[in-house]
Amino acid sequence: MKRSPLVVAGTLLGLAGVLNFHTDPATVSLAGLNSSGATTSATPGASSSTTTPATTVAPPTRSRKARSKAPVTTSPPTTSSPATASAPTSTAPSASAGTRTATGPLTNYNFGELSVTVGATGSKITAVTIGMLNDGGNFRSQSIDGMAIPILEQEAMAAQSATIQSVSGASWTSAGFMQSLQGALSKLGL
Amino acid sequence: MDAGETVETGPGHGVLHIEEEVMGTIVTIDLFGEVATESQQIAPHLTRAIESLHEADAVFSTWKSDSPMSRIRRGELDPDAAPAEVREVLAACEAARSLSNGWFDPWALPGGVDPTGYVKGWAAQRALAELLGARVRGAIINAAGDIATFGSPSAGAHFQIGITNPHATDELVALVDLQGCIATSGTYERGAYLMNPHSGLFATRLASASVTGPDLGLCDALATALVVAGDDLLGAIEELPEFEAFTVSLDSERRWTSAFALRSLARARDR
Repeated sequence: MKRSPLVVAGTLLGLAGVLNFHTDPATVSLAGLNSSGATTSATPGASSSTTTPATTVAPPTRSRKARSKAPVTTSPPTTSSPATASAPTSTAPSASAGTRTATGPLTNYNFGELSVTVGATGSKITAVTIGMLNDGGNFRSQSIDGMAIPILEQEAMAAQSATIQSVSGASWTSAGFMQSLQGALSKLGL
Repeated sequence: MDAGETVETGPGHGVLHIEEEVMGTIVTIDLFGEVATESQQIAPHLTRAIESLHEADAVFSTWKSDSPMSRIRRGELDPDAAPAEVREVLAACEAARSLSNGWFDPWALPGGVDPTGYVKGWAAQRALAELLGARVRGAIINAAGDIATFGSPSAGAHFQIGITNPHATDELVALVDLQGCIATSGTYERGAYLMNPHSGLFATRLASASVTGPDLGLCDALATALVVAGDDLLGAIEELPEFEAFTVSLDSERRWTSAFALRSLARARDR
């Protein structure tokens, strides 16, 4: 592929680009299959779009005047339900014949290094997990270790249907993840 | 793939991704749609966009001592005699100060007027305008988390943007169907650098605030104001046409204005 003479970084095409550039046409058509937002939001961790606060009632905020103006919507801070907490990203138990896994390179992210492991059956991604995380043992590891990044993991899964084009707030965060993901995908020939 | 060949991409897939180190950070540009890889028609637009980012850096940097903005801050240059874009930005900052009820105030900062909270978004938006003529379906410029877009990733789709969880920056706290711009401010990336212009103290009332709207500079300024002012300012943004906001409190409570284009909300967790 001949690129323009401009500085075009081929590495970080973003998750979508990654999947697109490493998939054959069959997979691409698969990509269009479950493009409904419902499918995406059904994944645990990205609960469906609820502009009406669900059954839970938002606890009153202490320090502020709880002047919750009518149009402003509020979400309760903790809504983790055991049902949705059950390992969404763990590798599919079936060690079926066609299932392969690969781990991408250890890549820098905000607080250390991580690597991404991808499982695939045929050309379909079945699991995306953090294969290794090295954050130098700082305090954040406590929160990162078991449960951080699951959103990104799920987005990688969901990328077969929907895609994040960018991240507002800390653009580096997803970069490390995607870089390693791309490496893993390349190893799988996806 | 031969020169000049057009790549048809799948839905939502960026075909060109560029990273440029500028303004003390990395700015990324993504182009979407059917893009000729040899990009005869795109190259000049991309070049102009990148140049305009560097021009903004050269004019507004408060770190480069010879920049016009640094000279204004030292009192060596009369703002009225400054380059046109300086006057444009300062006028916009005055408007942002007024719209934010004084919570965004570049003149209240120690060391002289500092429009940095507006400039990054403004510069990204100005660079994006250079890409309008590139005949692409859509484009994103992400300046360290402040995002300006036009068009769409694919026919009938919106750009889907993740908002970083300020309490766990490797997670997303929400997904947004974005049209236009989004800026997110918070103290988690650079520490407590946001000052309350009313009290002169460095303090914030929110963990992060995101503002969407048609003007990234103003989104950026309003997001900064929100973090300092707290959710009380949400009402003011609710009344601003075309601008919407999403906030995460210090104790992880999330709020948003009625028309905020929330696509999904991440499951919150106990910590």
